[in-house]
Amino acid sequence: MDFISGLLPHILNGLALGLLFALIALGFTLIVSVMEVINLAHGSLFALGAYVALLVISPDLSALGPLGEAYAALPLGARYAIALVIAPLAVAVVGFGLEVCLRRTYGKKKEYGLLLTFGAALVIEEAIRLTWGPAEQVLPTPEAVTGAFLAGDMIYSKYRVFAAVFGLCAIGLVWLFLDKTPYGAIIKAGAHDSEMVRALGINLSRLQLLVFGFGAALAGIAGIILAPIWGLRPHVGVDAVIPAFLIIVLGGIGSFWGAVAGGLLVGLAVGITGAYATDWSILSMYLLLILVLSVRARGLFGKKTVLET
Amino acid sequence: MLTARGKVPLVTRQMLVFFALLFSYPLWASAVGLYDYIGVEIAIWIIYALGYNLLLGYTGLPSFGHGAFLGIGAYAYGLSQLDLSGGVWIGLLLAVCAATAAAGLVACFLSHRRGIYFALMTIAFGQIFWFVAIKWHGVTGGEDGLLNVLRPELGLGVASISLKSNTTLYYFAAALLAVIVVILWRVLHSPFGAAIQAIRMNETRARFLGYRVWLIKWSVFTLSGAFAGLAGGLFCLTQESAYPDVMSLHASGFVVMMTLIGGGFVSFWGPVVGVIVFFLARDLLGSVTEAWLLWYGLLFMAVMLFEPEGVAGAWGRIAARLGSQKVAAPAAGKEAST
Amino acid sequence: MKQRLTRLLLAAAPLALAAGLAAEAFAENKPLVIGLTSDASGQYANSGASDRRGMLMAIEEFNAKGGVLGRRIETVHIDTETTPATGSRVAERMISQHKVGFLIGAVSSGVANAISQVAQKHGVIYLNTNSSSPTESGKNCHRVKFVWDGNGTNFAQSAVKSAIGTYGKDWLLLTNDYVWGHNTSATTRKLAEANGATIVEEILVPQGTRDFSSILLKTQQIGPKVIAAAVGGDDQKAMRTQVADLGMGAKYAWINNQQDWPDVYGLPKENLFGVFGTTWYYKLDLPGVDDFVKRYQALYPDTKMRVPGNVFFNGYWATRSLLEAVEKAGTTNNHAVIKRLEQLRIPAEVRLQHDDAYMNPKTHQMQQTVYLATANLESDDPDHLFKIVSRSAPDTIADRAAEETCKLESFEDTPVYQP
Repeated sequence: MDFISGLLPHILNGLALGLLFALIALGFTLIVSVMEVINLAHGSLFALGAYVALLVISPDLSALGPLGEAYAALPLGARYAIALVIAPLAVAVVGFGLEVCLRRTYGKKKEYGLLLTFGAALVIEEAIRLTWGPAEQVLPTPEAVTGAFLAGDMIYSKYRVFAAVFGLCAIGLVWLFLDKTPYGAIIKAGAHDSEMVRALGINLSRLQLLVFGFGAALAGIAGIILAPIWGLRPHVGVDAVIPAFLIIVLGGIGSFWGAVAGGLLVGLAVGITGAYATDWSILSMYLLLILVLSVRARGLFGKKTVLET
Repeated sequence: MLTARGKVPLVTRQMLVFFALLFSYPLWASAVGLYDYIGVEIAIWIIYALGYNLLLGYTGLPSFGHGAFLGIGAYAYGLSQLDLSGGVWIGLLLAVCAATAAAGLVACFLSHRRGIYFALMTIAFGQIFWFVAIKWHGVTGGEDGLLNVLRPELGLGVASISLKSNTTLYYFAAALLAVIVVILWRVLHSPFGAAIQAIRMNETRARFLGYRVWLIKWSVFTLSGAFAGLAGGLFCLTQESAYPDVMSLHASGFVVMMTLIGGGFVSFWGPVVGVIVFFLARDLLGSVTEAWLLWYGLLFMAVMLFEPEGVAGAWGRIAARLGSQKVAAPAAGKEAST
Repeated sequence: MKQRLTRLLLAAAPLALAAGLAAEAFAENKPLVIGLTSDASGQYANSGASDRRGMLMAIEEFNAKGGVLGRRIETVHIDTETTPATGSRVAERMISQHKVGFLIGAVSSGVANAISQVAQKHGVIYLNTNSSSPTESGKNCHRVKFVWDGNGTNFAQSAVKSAIGTYGKDWLLLTNDYVWGHNTSATTRKLAEANGATIVEEILVPQGTRDFSSILLKTQQIGPKVIAAAVGGDDQKAMRTQVADLGMGAKYAWINNQQDWPDVYGLPKENLFGVFGTTWYYKLDLPGVDDFVKRYQALYPDTKMRVPGNVFFNGYWATRSLLEAVEKAGTTNNHAVIKRLEQLRIPAEVRLQHDDAYMNPKTHQMQQTVYLATANLESDDPDHLFKIVSRSAPDTIADRAAEETCKLESFEDTPVYQP
């Protein structure tokens, strides 16, 4: 099989997959670089985002009478767009709550914060199971991005293209926000020197609250985007948290572009082994990580951080 | 948790209390609604958690992939029984050797790492072992596991006893646990014990003091893998089978939870308390409500929020407030700031 | 229990002329406790709940007519967490603490194995209601264990035989890279090749795969006529979504080994692609099926699953058959009940399937009709998901290999247990 019809589709597919992985890791890397907290609840927040979106897209509003009917009559695309705004906000609120709890662990051992979020992960997952039940659910997607198209004689999924483009935009927007706005500058300053931020008269605890909420919202967004691909069940978050982990370590903790590069690398590795040595496709992520870390102790773009001491 | 230097007794007063409770358990277990099997499981996990705390509590190195070594121990024991039909002792010896070898290998990659990178590498290695256990079904039986690893007679030189009954098995596990407690206590009060605690407090300073930090980190990781292997072998003996589940990230997370909830950072006995709390909470909550993980998660969050030093920390504080000398932590040294 | 007995004896002593008789009567009437070991969390939580509803309906029916052997049936349920280690502990706990008479329930084969080993050690009869791994009634069979679901081999045979003539000869196997997947694909391969098909490729899918894009891409590059998928659990759920999204369900002839009702209930019908096996469907055209569905709805008016499915059916029949065997044996003695169950034969009209079902005494697996179904796109009824394409009688799809690999323990090696 020649390159064009053989390997190339797999490379492209791997890159698209990589963008999704990067999207999953985005909120995780933001929180870890600014707050030095490994948020093990990332996966549960990911799942929560998708479940809240499900609630927003197809709610039971019969109690609201005509208003509810009017909402249900909105096109799916509109409800989906509303969900993309409301669900991350809801997850952000949960994130705020978690951050308020986390405050008690600041200045103590890092493991305490990590384990607090581990506990929170269990609690959120169980709460989802109690609220929505253990059964598999389907998150509806707008007509425009459903179905498949032909390129050559291959079928591709429209939704996957949408998801990859969405991932790319989300990465771009977060980067613009961090790099081009004064808020971003403050956040980045907080990541490097919290004393400095305090000295500048900025309320550090409010900053941390907002960053954590923002990170949680990004987890929620990733959940909404991934749910139509992975399916939706209460423990779906477990599938998200491990790749997120690997990616940020691969890219280097604290590095935005490192996370993006890590995501793309993992996507490529999984995509290509998925074509030629399928049974190794999951293991390839871990082997890649060990390979990179054996050569570069702090990942691709990592710098020394407080977390190492 | 600075262990005092100088002369330490081989067996302390706390140990005697612990041993008394340990060996009398089958007599009062059913009166308090417990049963021998859970006792065996608790004893095994205490061995595992005590060994793990060498790493987490004493050296300050969080490993999130320790389940791998428990699993390797279990498979090694199981294979020794199924393929070699060796006795209990040979099986356990092989379990310890296999886990030690695996931990030693992993430690080569880890010993130069610190903090978060250390933790994350352990996750990656843990996942690899877990994955291999499932994939290599010719050897491990895949997700079906190794089955029908029947409990053999336990040879004791002159006589042999059957381990078929859970009560006998309990006494065997308890005896091993008692030996382990004494050994660990010795290790922690040896120069090696002082070295690992120096590393926890300040790795750079330890290096300046002339400790070969790399080697010490390597050996403590390997040693703790050996304990996990022993626990794994015992677990296989108890369950009469070995499954890959104990190697998953979730299961590896549980030992961290147990160690911290009991107060592994501040007390030698922390992991012991933690394992007991974990199993009892799980057993009791699990029989009352299906959402036991919700309650357990909440309990765990509450501990991390209000009493991060765990049960042992709380006990230590209460005891101090009462002005009592009988502090549970045998070495009630102040937690040194890092 | 002992304390209660003593207290009752003390109370009865002044009254009865023959205190021994009173004790005897009490012993006859002490409740029979059954341990339900279905998963309530983890991958199989949803199926576990359905399984349990089935068991409880059977128990309810017996209690309504006065229990079994004059004893009320009580149940105790502890979550087995879809984890073997928990399965062992729960079984030990139920036997030593709750003094259960029987253990019922499993979806995951790992948990089933763990429980059955403990059960065999104590001689407690254990019913594996819903794990379809062929090893359950093969290599890992036990004298005390009875398996009630069709297994991967049964389903593969039923599907392959009817697919080969219809769809074409170039076959691709998608195999979940674990024991169940390998066993099932091996059966499929053997049958397909024996019937003149060519296996063009076998793709191994690691357990835990969530993204099938590269696998589906490769599948397209190969371009087979038929895809036989032995992919299970959450992997299957993810694959189903992605195949449906691509519309690849219609492009190839898909043969899915089995679809459990709780896994597909509530999903859009487009997600159900290809043909798949099941042991029962709530719209089978047989007398009594409607009544069975009504009983389910009356007992569970609030559950989201409005109609019962195969998992419920297996849970119900396993429990009912066990209790009937106890009644026929006239004792709860395990050896007597096992012998009854080994001769179990249920007429088709009672069992609500097309053929008589019977227990294979060599493997302890229930031999029953297997149906081949596909998505029912014609109906608007959201519950009416399946269309039954064909059915196979038990003897035509029996798992012959299991009879060779299964070595049941002798009765002498099975401790006597009389709850």
